[in-house]
Amino acid sequence: MIFRKRQFIPTLFILPSILLLGVFIYFPLLQNFYNSFYDFTVFSQEKVYTGFANFKYLLEDKVVIAGLMNNVKYAVISVVFQVFFALILATILEDRLFRKVAPALRIIYFMPVMISISVIALLFGFIYNPQMGLLNSFLEAIGLGSVALPWLGNATTSIYAVIAMSQWQSIGFITMLFIVAIQKIPQELYEAADIDGAGKVRKFFNITIPQVKEAMFVNILITITGSMLVFNEPYILTNGGPGFSSTTLSVHMYQQGFVKDNMGYASAVATLIFILTAVFALIQIKVSGTGKDE
Amino acid sequence: MKKATSLLVIVLLFTSILSACSADKIPKNADGEEIVEINFFHRWPNEPRKSFYDQKIKEFMDENPNVKINVDAVLNDSYKEKIKVLISNNELPDIFSSWSDSFAQNLVTSDKIMSLNEIISSDEEWASKILESQYSGFTFDDITYGIPFTVDGKAFFYNKEIFEEHNISVPKTYDEFLKVLEDLQKAGFKEPLVEGLTNTWAISHYLGSIFQRVVDPEVLKKDYTDGTSEFTDTGYIKGLEMFKELTEYMGDVSTAIDHEAARNMFGNREVPILYMQFAEIKLIEDMSDMEIGFFDFPAVTDGNGNQTSLTGAPEGWMLSKNAPQEAIDFLKFLTSEETAFEFTETDGQLNAIEGAVTTENVSANSLAAYELILEATSTAPWFDNAVNINIADIFMRGGQELATGQTTPEDILKAVHQEVEKLKK
Repeated sequence: MIFRKRQFIPTLFILPSILLLGVFIYFPLLQNFYNSFYDFTVFSQEKVYTGFANFKYLLEDKVVIAGLMNNVKYAVISVVFQVFFALILATILEDRLFRKVAPALRIIYFMPVMISISVIALLFGFIYNPQMGLLNSFLEAIGLGSVALPWLGNATTSIYAVIAMSQWQSIGFITMLFIVAIQKIPQELYEAADIDGAGKVRKFFNITIPQVKEAMFVNILITITGSMLVFNEPYILTNGGPGFSSTTLSVHMYQQGFVKDNMGYASAVATLIFILTAVFALIQIKVSGTGKDE
Repeated sequence: MKKATSLLVIVLLFTSILSACSADKIPKNADGEEIVEINFFHRWPNEPRKSFYDQKIKEFMDENPNVKINVDAVLNDSYKEKIKVLISNNELPDIFSSWSDSFAQNLVTSDKIMSLNEIISSDEEWASKILESQYSGFTFDDITYGIPFTVDGKAFFYNKEIFEEHNISVPKTYDEFLKVLEDLQKAGFKEPLVEGLTNTWAISHYLGSIFQRVVDPEVLKKDYTDGTSEFTDTGYIKGLEMFKELTEYMGDVSTAIDHEAARNMFGNREVPILYMQFAEIKLIEDMSDMEIGFFDFPAVTDGNGNQTSLTGAPEGWMLSKNAPQEAIDFLKFLTSEETAFEFTETDGQLNAIEGAVTTENVSANSLAAYELILEATSTAPWFDNAVNINIADIFMRGGQELATGQTTPEDILKAVHQEVEKLKK
């Protein structure tokens, strides 16, 4: 008997998950690496080996640079808003002053998270509409008609308009994670600080932030890797345009694959995205020591 | 032996799960006949066509109780993407809509599309009704893969009342056209012309027509063919400059709206001129009672191209290689004279079936357009269907960037040349 009962039963339990992960994650991942060395279309499955040609072209492709820059903008702005601003929001919501209204506010902030991104994108398409959109009408109403722009049709503002929508949607989720983290902080710390005469700001910097450090790293990780993968928002709102001004790496990958039929090159872009997210994840896990706490 | 027993249990468990997935019994209808399912995929989730096809599906299923039609529909650009995904997944629907020319040709190279030659030759009564001239975009190496159903063309539509009010006459040449736009601007129309440039296909329609006018037809033919394309003619620079010139009259909203919004602006009399497909005439007529007229893309006096060719191409239906006989019957049903007549009556889009476009089901404007299509000495397919999509995309995205002032015609062509080199490899 090769298998002893003791080893056999546990193996059996993890088998389904390994099988599912293998079939749906690891195998496609490996196949993607393999595909990125070939040139092929969706119409004919005949693959032509091209060596590193796809990767060479990746380095010359201006859209990759533009897309990567947009992803970086996405990441920076998301970290500022979704992590730092959400932390402040969570602290305020957990403050004694807000005890009565906090549950209602939590629901209000969390509501956008539950709405489908397609619905939200259509909604914001209306808000940003240059002729009758809410945003421009509002700006005109308060006398700022001169700064009203065709937000999604302007090459400099389009990516920021897309990012703004994401912030609106995701801040509630991160806030919720912070609220949970804050609720886990022992009350004694705050009581001790009260006795020492610390104000609210002091307590925030000296107790809340150090205590939620772990949650903060996790949230930064979620936000940055999420920013590297962002697809739905720019795809639905602007389809990456005008020109390539709001294209992200994922949108570029999709367009190369399913619009322009360069499946091999799309695989190479996918590989780049994978490497980027993997590197970020590794750095953050290393730096923050995530997982030791839980 | 314990190991063997547990292994046996596992194997049994797995096989029963797997077989439960695959051993679906073939469903039967009330009469005990086996039900044939047909997957039908078209590109009109919008009205009035969605309801029209839903109604036709119902009629067909009522006539053929042994057929069940599953329908799916997504809009234009998404359709182009989804059909590719379906092909790559081997989930090509039995019957689906297709554009002509390179779009159709790409589908055909997948080797998953049914040849229709036999079907056409075996049913003379049905096939003879379909306009012969519309087949070419679906025929490759003498094999026909699609049945043309709608015919279309593109022209500048204008608001007759506004033109008369400001004493403006229909331009014959491109220079006169610019003069008209100037005059309209002076008359108070900040944007005398509009287009929804977020739809890249709308840009391709402009560019396709402009290139027809300014580039020698022989050169175009060479450049539009994969493998021989060069795009070195100076006409392309001139064409892109012309496009940029036109976008300057469109205002900066144009890069933020889609074609539908642009059409609504035209229908609401906010904008006097719109470059529009004949298929849209009825939409405008339903929206307002204004009098509209149309003129073909004006001739470019110093252009080397064909000054009279009409941009426009048919769309039609294709069958998957494995489609059942019932899908073929459904195709014939969809392209029958009665269906076509009702279709044009409901939708306004002109069709390729003889006798199905008459004064009874279309307006005078549409009938004039229909005659223009039938009489056109030469037609040019939509630019994004005519050239390799990688090149078309550079032109289309470049068109957006031209409108927002981020690039120049020279830079666009430089990118095109790089792509041409890359495609040659």
